Amino acid sequence: MTTIFVCEDSLDGILTGVYEAWDSRLGHENVRLQTEAEGTLELFCQYRPVRRDLEKAEKVLRTVRRRMGEKAREAVCYAAACTDERKADAIYRLIVLGLSMADGTKAVDCLQNPAVLLVEKLRYKAWHEAERMLGFLRFEELENGVLYARMEPPYAVLPLIAPHFADRLYQENWIIHDLRRGQAAVHRAGGGWFLTEAEALSTLEKEGRSGAEQEFQKLWQAFCSSIAIEERRNPRCQQNLLPLRFRPYMTEFGADRSRTVLN
Amino acid sequence: MQHTRIPEQLPVMEKLKILSDAAKYDVACTSSGTSRGNNGKGIGNCFDAGICHSFAADGRCISLLKILFTNECICNCRYCLNRSSNDVPRATFTPDEICELVMGFYRRNYIEGLFLSSGILNSPDYTMELLYQTLRKLRTEYHFGGYIHVKAIPGADPALIEKTGFLADRMSVNLELPTAEGLRRLAPAKTREKILRPMRQVQNRMEENRNELALYRSAPRFVPAGQSTQMIIGATPESDFQILSVAESLYQKFDLKRVFYSAFVRVNDDSVLPALPGGPPLLREHRLYQADWLLRFYGFEAGELLSEARPNLNVLFDPKCDWALRHLEEFPVEINRASYQTLLRVPGIGVKSAQRIVKARRLGSLDFPDLKRIGVVLKRALYFITCRGKTLYPVKIEEDYITRNLLYVKEKLPPQLQGDVTYRQLSLFDDGMPLSFGEQAELLAAEGQELLTAGADAGGAGRFV
Repeated sequence: MTTIFVCEDSLDGILTGVYEAWDSRLGHENVRLQTEAEGTLELFCQYRPVRRDLEKAEKVLRTVRRRMGEKAREAVCYAAACTDERKADAIYRLIVLGLSMADGTKAVDCLQNPAVLLVEKLRYKAWHEAERMLGFLRFEELENGVLYARMEPPYAVLPLIAPHFADRLYQENWIIHDLRRGQAAVHRAGGGWFLTEAEALSTLEKEGRSGAEQEFQKLWQAFCSSIAIEERRNPRCQQNLLPLRFRPYMTEFGADRSRTVLN
Repeated sequence: MQHTRIPEQLPVMEKLKILSDAAKYDVACTSSGTSRGNNGKGIGNCFDAGICHSFAADGRCISLLKILFTNECICNCRYCLNRSSNDVPRATFTPDEICELVMGFYRRNYIEGLFLSSGILNSPDYTMELLYQTLRKLRTEYHFGGYIHVKAIPGADPALIEKTGFLADRMSVNLELPTAEGLRRLAPAKTREKILRPMRQVQNRMEENRNELALYRSAPRFVPAGQSTQMIIGATPESDFQILSVAESLYQKFDLKRVFYSAFVRVNDDSVLPALPGGPPLLREHRLYQADWLLRFYGFEAGELLSEARPNLNVLFDPKCDWALRHLEEFPVEINRASYQTLLRVPGIGVKSAQRIVKARRLGSLDFPDLKRIGVVLKRALYFITCRGKTLYPVKIEEDYITRNLLYVKEKLPPQLQGDVTYRQLSLFDDGMPLSFGEQAELLAAEGQELLTAGADAGGAGRFV
C-alpha cells in the first residue's frame, strides 16, 4: 500500500516531508509526497500529515547542498515556489536520485528522468517569474520615507527576490507586500530583512504618499511615453514581453491605465 | 577646467521630455555585463544578466534612464534630429538635475541605471568634461552603485575619456554608418578615424586594466562591462555582407561586446536620405541581429553566411536555416554523436538545447521525444538530424523539398511578404508533401508510448537496488 505524506505548501514543509518519507523506511517506491489542499483523495493508500519542522528541513537542504551541489539546492528552492501539484514528489525523487549517485552533482543533468525534468521546468518557471519581478516591481515612497511595493505573483517568489533588494536598497527602509499570499518582506535600513504575515500592513495601501512621490511618478510616465519610437510602434511585442497581469501595480501603467498601451 | 554657467530656464519635466525624446534613437539599453554588490555606503548594485524594468510601446526594453545631456549640437549630420540646422526645442540638463532624477528613479526600482549621451555643446572636450562631472557627482557625492553607460565623444581629450571610463560600466562610441564613404556623405563633420580612435583607446585601456586587476584585485575597474557601438541600417546603400564584415572585424579587432543595428528612421526631410515608404527596414534589422548572434555565439564567420556574390541576407529564412540549406552535404547529423559545435549549426537547435543535449546524452542515448522535451524546435530541425541513425519520419535531404517544407512552417513574416511566397507550384502527384501538425503529433505520441512501455519493462523491481 502506498503511503502519502501530506506536507505544507512551502519549501520548509516539502523538505520536512522529504525527511519524514525517507525516515519512514517504507521504501522509496511505496511512498509519495503531496502538498496540502488537494481535492481528490485516493483509495488504497494511507495519508500521513507532516508537520513543518525547520530543523529537519534545514538538514535536508544542507545535505542537498553538500552532496548535490549549489545548482541542485537552487533548483529545489525555486521549484518549491511553484504551484504545480506534482512538485513535492518530483523534489523527493530528485533527492533520492542525487543521493544514490556516486557524484550527486550530476543528478540535475539527468533530464531524461521525468522527475528531474519536472523540477528543472518548475525551477525555470519560478526563476523567470522572479527575474521579471526584479524589474517590474515598483516602490512608492510613503510619507515617513518608507518604500512600499505591492505585487500579486502567481508563485511564491517573495523570499527569492527579497535578498536582491536587501542588497540594492541597503540604506532604505522598505516593505514588499505579496497581496495574494498575505505575506510581506520587511527591511530595515542598514540591516537585514525578514518575512512576516501582512495583516498589520493592510492600512499601508491607503496611507498617504510623500510629496515627491507624485512628481517622480509623473516624470517617469513622461519618460516612458517619450522614449518610444512612433515609427516602430508594436503593442503586440510590448504585451508579449510585459503581460497585462503585471501592469496594475506598475507606475507607468497604473490601475486605470492597465489595459492601455503606453503612448 | 571651464566654468560656464548653463542656462536653466526650463522645468525638469520639459527637459526630460525633450532630452529623452532626443535620445530614443540610441539602441543600446542593456544593463548586463557587470556583477557588483552594494558598496555599503550608498544605493545600488549590478546584476550580471541585466534587468529589464519596463517595455515601451515599440516593444523595446527600458532598462536605463536614457537621456542626452544636451541636444544642442555643433554637428550637422544629415540623418540626425538634433542637427544644428533643425529648428527643434533645445535643452540642457545640469549635473545635479541628472543625479536627482537617477536617484529618485532608482530608489523606486524604475531603472537599472543611467544611459548618458550628448549632443556636442561648444566642443568635444567641453561636452566630455560635463559628462565626466555628472558621473563623478553621481558616484562620489550620491554614492550611486548602479549601472552607468556613457558615450565617449569622438575628438575629446583622451585623458578625459580615461577618467570617465573609471566611473562608468560601459562606454560606447557610435560608428553611425557602416562605411567611411557613407559617413562622408551623411555626417561630414565626422570621419572614420576620429570615431575609431576613442574606441581603440578604450580597448587598450581595458586590456591594461585586466593586467592591473590580475596583480591587484582591488584596482579600480575601467569600463568593466566592455564597449559597444551602433550602426544605422538602410540610410546608405551598403549590403548586409559589408555590414556583417564590419561587425565581425569590430568584434575581433576592437574586442567589442556588442554591435547594435538601428533601422533607419527618416526624421529629417533631406534629399540625400532615402525615402522609406514601407517604414523603417525592421525585418532587415532583425535578420542582421540573427546573423550577429551567429557570429558571437554559434561560431559562424561572416564569409560563411554571405559573400560578394550573395551580399544580402535571405528575408524568408533566418540566416542559419539559409546556411544549412546551402550546405546540405553536412547533414543529417547524429544527435547522439555530433560535437557541440556541429549541433549549434543545426537549425532549430540553440545554445541552450545544444548544451542540454550534450549533458543529457552522457547519461543515456536520446530520441525525438527527448529532444522535444529538451526544447529543440523539431519542425525546423527534423530535416537535419537523426537519432540513433533514424530520422523522425522519412524525409529527403534535398534543398527543394526542405525549402518547401520549411516555408510551410510559416515563420511570422510581415504582411507584404506573406502573400507572394509561392515558392513552387503544387504538383498533382504526391512528391512528399509535408505532414500536418496533427500527423506529426501523432507520430511523436506513438513513439513516446513505445518508449514508456519499454522503460517499464527494463525498470520495474530492480530500479532501486
